[in-house]
Amino acid sequence: MSDARRTLVPPTRGYFDLDHYGTLAALVQEWRSLGEIPPERLPTAEDHASVCRFLHYEARLLDAARLPEWLALFTDDCVYWLPTDVDGADPRKVVSWEMNDRRRLEERVERLGTGRAYSQAPPTRTTHLYANIEVLTAGVTEVHALCTFLIQTHLAGRVSQRSGSNGFVLRRAGRSWQIVVKRVSLFDADLPQDNNSFTL
Amino acid sequence: MPGTPMPRPTAPVSAGRYGHLFRPGYVHRDLYASPELFAAEMRHLFGNTWVYVGHESEIPQPNDFVMRTVGRRPVILCRKEDGGLSVLLNRCTHRGALVCRTPRGNARHFTCGYHAWTFLNDGRCTGVPLKHAYGSEYDRADQNLRSIAVDAYRGFIFASVSPHVPPLVEHLAGARDFLDQWLDRDGARPVLVQNGDMQFQTHANWKTVYDNAGDGYHPPFSHTSMLRVFADRYGDVDMQYYAKNFDESPLLSKDLGRGHTTLDQRPAMHAESAWRRQHVSPGREALEAALVDRYGAEEALRMLDASTGSGLNLNIFPNLLIIGNQIQMLEPVAVNRTVVRWFSTTLDGAPPEINATRLRLQEDFPSFGEVDDTAQFESCQHGLEDVPELEWVDIRRHMDTGAGRTDTDGYWREPISSDLHLRCYYGAWRRIMEEAAAR
Repeated sequence: MSDARRTLVPPTRGYFDLDHYGTLAALVQEWRSLGEIPPERLPTAEDHASVCRFLHYEARLLDAARLPEWLALFTDDCVYWLPTDVDGADPRKVVSWEMNDRRRLEERVERLGTGRAYSQAPPTRTTHLYANIEVLTAGVTEVHALCTFLIQTHLAGRVSQRSGSNGFVLRRAGRSWQIVVKRVSLFDADLPQDNNSFTL
Repeated sequence: MPGTPMPRPTAPVSAGRYGHLFRPGYVHRDLYASPELFAAEMRHLFGNTWVYVGHESEIPQPNDFVMRTVGRRPVILCRKEDGGLSVLLNRCTHRGALVCRTPRGNARHFTCGYHAWTFLNDGRCTGVPLKHAYGSEYDRADQNLRSIAVDAYRGFIFASVSPHVPPLVEHLAGARDFLDQWLDRDGARPVLVQNGDMQFQTHANWKTVYDNAGDGYHPPFSHTSMLRVFADRYGDVDMQYYAKNFDESPLLSKDLGRGHTTLDQRPAMHAESAWRRQHVSPGREALEAALVDRYGAEEALRMLDASTGSGLNLNIFPNLLIIGNQIQMLEPVAVNRTVVRWFSTTLDGAPPEINATRLRLQEDFPSFGEVDDTAQFESCQHGLEDVPELEWVDIRRHMDTGAGRTDTDGYWREPISSDLHLRCYYGAWRRIMEEAAAR
């Protein structure tokens, strides 16, 4: 048995119901149709700075393969999502590369930790660059953060890049943040993809 | 064909143009590593048999189209104005350019961007600018786009470049029975292929994918990481039946004729309830509860069982692999590059909770299993390409154990870990390639 073993009876995490998907689909539409950030949604300079710090920290954990710590950045009702389309499709109707709830995200990290995940033997090395960070307020406790990413990768002698945009929903946690949604939208998600079994 | 299993393809002779690539129980590495053989396969194998090009539900309306390939040849699969199907070589009859560059859409005609030659979606050439320069004898009908043979079986559309192929149902042989079984779950609600697809690119020969799809030997080893995570969390779920001596289990590999095979895990997976065997997927509890509320426990479970993975790998030579609820289409790109497109399916008229569940389940294996398979394909390719001293690939499992027999449904069966599928499809490979060479 692996160290990851916790319980044979999983906690009920039933938040992925049809309404939840509807909320996600609406969120994506909002991001896709966003113009200049409306004045009433501009964050304070302090919030903007702390969101940037947090995103850079998140990227740093990924590049250092500190996945248990990375996982701890996510809320209990989180979503980690890689769509297969570039049109903002509804996840009730279109398959995703990944549509993880908290439990599945834990399982993903556990799989990579088994030492038998051959798709990551050797592991993909990455450098995540986040740029064009935009932050919008979303109620009292949450903000949205949009950014572009470029991930330089090296896997077994082959160097290649991944690129696209991230959409985050972040929830206030003391002086920092937790991730409620991370949507990784590869700019070529609908086209042939090489080994993406590392964590984007 | 039911009741008439093919002769056991155990002892290919070394005759013919390609005989040197085969020995009893072995195939030569050139089949995976030689660019010349790959080019010959694209021309003669993919050019002389039925190749899967898409599903009818992808092009439901008149004038819908999708771009596809047939052994690298660009083609357009069209729903014509009259509802019929056409498959056109996407090559302008003038200078060879693509006349369609849009992956999918709706169009009655295609206009080449180079000199604006225009073609209807049945191939007819309807426009050649400044036609007078071709002289008075010029007949536009000679310039039609080349249309190739097309036929469909219960939604699955196949095309053949060569017109000299048997009728599609004859080509499908026993795979037809298993396609029927796959389609007839859940009251035979029509399968829809309108839910996106994942395109996995693997730096390996297309046949390594085929070798794997029929390989019931690798799961407990290649997929240890996946099986361990889910066993640790959920106990005896999924493919844990592989933990025992699985060759003694009721799991089977079967020869369906003409190179087609199946791995049938249904006796284990669907023995009681496939849904109950299925490890937890995102949204499981919420969507199951919603279905139980609306339909009652019994009906909800029936629908969920029918939407859990089929427990069937159905391998239709040369490029269609049905795995679970997914339709996999192979697109060979180069001797060492293949795109594996996993089309997701939903059911027409099924409750949205069922279709959302289907989608989440269809994300499961690709991200927890396929990624490891793909890495193995690339690893095999490296070994086969770069170690020329070792020429032969072993395909002997259960060739000489006497464990095979004709099953009650008339098909030849062997234990699940057999290499039967390789011996079967290489039999079809040789037949088609030798026939083409003899022409």
